[in-house]
Amino acid sequence: MMEFKGYQHPQSYFPEFPPESEWDVIIIGAGPNGLIAAAYLAKAGLKVALIERRYEIGGGLATEEILFPGYYSNIHAIYHMMVDYMPVLQDFDLGRHGLVWIKPNLQASMVFENGESLLLTRMIEDTADSISKFSIKDAQTFSRTMGRWRTIIREILAPATFIPPMLPIEITMALQKTDVGQELLELVEQSPLDIVTNLFENDKVRAMLLYNICMWGLDPRETGVGLFVALYLDRMMNKCYCQGGSHKMANSLGREIVQAGGVILDSSQVNNIIMEGGKAVGVDLWEGRTLRAKAIISTLDPQTTFVDLVGGENLPVSLKESVEGWKYDKWSLNTLHVVSEEQPKYLPKDQWASESFMTIFGFEGMDQMLEHWDNVVAGKLDTSIMGGHATCESFWDTHLVRVPPDRAHRQVSFFQHHAPYNLEGGWEQKGPEIEEAILQKWAKYAPNMKKENIVMTNQETPVDIEIRFPNMRYGSIKHGDYKPIQLGCFRPNQECSGNATPIPGLYTGGASNYPGGCVLGGSGYLVANKVAEDLGVTKWWKPTKEMEKYTKTYLEG
Amino acid sequence: MAKEERYDVIIVGAGHNGTTTAAYLAKCGLSVLVLEERPEGGGAQETVEPIAGVRIQPHAIGNYGGSAPGWEQLELWKYGFRMDYDPRYEVPFDTERGPMTREGTLQVAEEDQMGWAKITGLLGEPMFHKELLRATFWTPPHPSYIENDENTIPYMQVFKQYSPDLWTKELLEYTMFDFLDQHIKSEAFKVFQAYIANVSGAFGHFPGVAVPAVECVATVLPPAVAKPVASRGNMHGYYHALFRCAVANGATIRTCCPVEEIIIEHGRAVGVRLRDDATLGNKTIYANKAVISGAHIKPTFLKLIGPKHLDAGFLQKIKDLSLKGGSLYMTHFLTKEQLRYREQYKWPSHESFNGGFYCMENMEIYWKNLECVLGRQSNLDIPPDEAMWGMVGQTNYAESQPQCTREGYYVNGPLWMMVPTPEYNVDGTLAMDNGPADKEKWDQYMVKTLSCIVENADSDNIVKIWSDSPWGQEFRNTGMLGGSWYGTRCDRDEWWNERPTQELARYRVPDIEGLYLCHQSAAHPGGLCLMAVGYNLMHILIEDGICEPGPWWYESPWYIPEEGKISAKPGQGRV
Repeated sequence: MMEFKGYQHPQSYFPEFPPESEWDVIIIGAGPNGLIAAAYLAKAGLKVALIERRYEIGGGLATEEILFPGYYSNIHAIYHMMVDYMPVLQDFDLGRHGLVWIKPNLQASMVFENGESLLLTRMIEDTADSISKFSIKDAQTFSRTMGRWRTIIREILAPATFIPPMLPIEITMALQKTDVGQELLELVEQSPLDIVTNLFENDKVRAMLLYNICMWGLDPRETGVGLFVALYLDRMMNKCYCQGGSHKMANSLGREIVQAGGVILDSSQVNNIIMEGGKAVGVDLWEGRTLRAKAIISTLDPQTTFVDLVGGENLPVSLKESVEGWKYDKWSLNTLHVVSEEQPKYLPKDQWASESFMTIFGFEGMDQMLEHWDNVVAGKLDTSIMGGHATCESFWDTHLVRVPPDRAHRQVSFFQHHAPYNLEGGWEQKGPEIEEAILQKWAKYAPNMKKENIVMTNQETPVDIEIRFPNMRYGSIKHGDYKPIQLGCFRPNQECSGNATPIPGLYTGGASNYPGGCVLGGSGYLVANKVAEDLGVTKWWKPTKEMEKYTKTYLEG
Repeated sequence: MAKEERYDVIIVGAGHNGTTTAAYLAKCGLSVLVLEERPEGGGAQETVEPIAGVRIQPHAIGNYGGSAPGWEQLELWKYGFRMDYDPRYEVPFDTERGPMTREGTLQVAEEDQMGWAKITGLLGEPMFHKELLRATFWTPPHPSYIENDENTIPYMQVFKQYSPDLWTKELLEYTMFDFLDQHIKSEAFKVFQAYIANVSGAFGHFPGVAVPAVECVATVLPPAVAKPVASRGNMHGYYHALFRCAVANGATIRTCCPVEEIIIEHGRAVGVRLRDDATLGNKTIYANKAVISGAHIKPTFLKLIGPKHLDAGFLQKIKDLSLKGGSLYMTHFLTKEQLRYREQYKWPSHESFNGGFYCMENMEIYWKNLECVLGRQSNLDIPPDEAMWGMVGQTNYAESQPQCTREGYYVNGPLWMMVPTPEYNVDGTLAMDNGPADKEKWDQYMVKTLSCIVENADSDNIVKIWSDSPWGQEFRNTGMLGGSWYGTRCDRDEWWNERPTQELARYRVPDIEGLYLCHQSAAHPGGLCLMAVGYNLMHILIEDGICEPGPWWYESPWYIPEEGKISAKPGQGRV
């Protein structure tokens, strides 16, 4: 017998990405902001490495087969509110990757037990028509108010999303320059609840509007966040669906990055940011590789970036204190994903409630809604008064269902409601009964959603959100609460809100930075601008025309 | 919205082979468009996280592709390709690993290991392991006028050169078992190796494909892989590198863009028409040089091209291609405590659960399973303790790449079992997937058979099962018609110069100019994510003047250029 003499190391079969490498920019986290920053900087000619912990890029831009096998769902972001204004969508031709947005006129409906419904539509007068069934006065108020607010958004709030934040005093001085600005200033000091109750008289109208305004975690009683009332209401009337699922947006940006020479390392967790002489100079990966760069951008939440990756011992005292005092979101979301034999058909006789992008149900009035939110903040859920919103995704998107012909008629939907991360009794224990309560409630408002219509379910609790996306700590979809001291130039703190940090070489630019989360596309754009300036590269892009006009009107002279 | 779009090449399907082809052609400087109908490319190379923190592999698991020229030519490392090595596997065999029988795990005798090492080219000086693999998979079939015999078939040339004692004319008639009989004693070990061949495309008992069957196994054992589950990010991580290579070289790859028709005009493929719900305004796109179908061969001809361009005789041949054999029922188990081997299945070096291959015992069991799956084609009636299957365990994955980050839970799987192909199941296509109760029945069957080697696969421990029947698979991934993992099987009539049929064996389509095939079901050597179809097809595209690769290209040493065409061997010109 011949003797076994040699063994070729597997490296001779599979050449691998090197253990050590040098870059201009390392970006931690391939969520929307990381992708946007990487796309701009790679196209600017910088050598960019984008590092992602999950096996798939996109962060909350995730369209995955969580109703396995065969049914895909948008497990996180689905309602895209800033498509009209995001510079990234104007600066890149993402359409060539097949990125298509759908903006239905029927944006949201609210369904009540007695079969009544209220619509929130893209076209202002369609909403007013619907409100007029409840209150003609409210309909007229809505019509007039939204017209003005639309101008506020277009002239001020939308462009300001993509311009570095200013101190409150600076904002006040800037806004006083125009009538539109002064109107916005009047809103700022009020709470969402004040604004809605001052303007509108009908309880159901109030409930519908307040739900849309506060859906993303705005505290209805918090003062000083009034500008978000106008912003959210306008944007909730202009939500877009990404055909093929939200992941397509991530995919399209990923292709831009790679085409510009950037490298994406997924399935890679950063172990620590390498500090040398007080400067951030690189990252060590869990798998043992090291990457070094001139600039490191973290898109993660403040505690992960500064405490876990940089290390508390490397932080200046003021930064350490501010990071430790960071408050995560008061509310998270609980989502029940469902495959059903039929699309949910809601109580109202007309089909609009069933064909809305989003259908709100469970609340009969504003007080009930406020009580539910109070419960959530207190760590409780009373399923008898709980409400939320649902979307039948497959109604909008045929690509989500990939099953044999005998089941191809089935539909994918979800119901989502505000929920505490620290639920009394725990999600593991309470989850099943909450799921049961949701299904009962759904069947009450959409009578065909009874047991025999339901094929498969999958509930994603706030705890699941954190497991899937660990830097959405405590299920914080926005990486941190929206309260005045964590907004604007205080997000995440005054030292870091301009995207540079007190640590040379380290930048932040995720949802915990100005202007915040929910796929606004702001932080990623702003941090790209900052890093491009600091590294002295020419920006190949220009501000959008809305931004230019805003700068000229409010910030110059 | 509807401006005319033109590319040099349009590829239908962003599975492994479509994407490899795109990467090669983009690297040649061509403008390439790839159209994929699913929300994510990758085809068989996929990972799913069905509940937060738990990842499963519904399809490809092992990286069989280690000997591919693609690693050098496409430089996937530049696009983030990484492996996750496990030093335990730094010998051709883990000597403590072996076939599991009803009695326990068998040790493979050193003599048998050396027998296996001999026939796979691991012995002697120099080793010819990689050459043998490349000759088997990474070389295009010869032009039709070349006789295929012991002197021309590439792997026979390798034996002749490196190990003349193995080079016999009879080898071309052997089954894998015949070949193994001469070098290996243990029946269980032979059945074990043959079973891996069966799930990889070429059956252990098929005459005439002994070497391809052996090589299907050799390519997924060390040193061709370092570990059964090896790429970082699993097989989808491997796909990402391939996909990013294509994109970085300028290819456009679009998802959610199903192709409805390959447009044929004047006997030439000129473009494609997308289905109405494609995520793109412009539904008709043109190709200047070629349309390459990375879709399954049956829909490619029966639907995308259609009878209006093809004659009944040809269509019948396509309809008749066998889908049998590669259909697997895939099961993942989520448990509260880690699975534990029964005492007799523990391996000395690692007692924690690590999967394995069960009921690899003797020819009687082998035939019992095969006869049920291939012969009678009715539902499985094998007692669970005699069912043959393989399984990956959680500890097969690197510690830095945990598959379960959900505290207090463990995920193990897939457990894959060959089952009747729906299209041939006399009990009907829905026979293993007829509603929740039926699915539950088969899931429980998998639990029972797993319980043969595991002591705690009980209902208290198992909290969730994800399973996928062949019937489900073929609609979530339409490249897997019949749920078949290798499209059509590699039997004598569907391998090498016969794959998928003689007239289509060189990836061209007679009478339709500018149309080429690159799906595993339509092209030598078939599946396994080898980057082989793309590499082999390159030879043909160079011959036809479609592309001209740069200095990074090298052809297969066993390649024979077709007369009158441009040779794929650089500098040789037209022959």
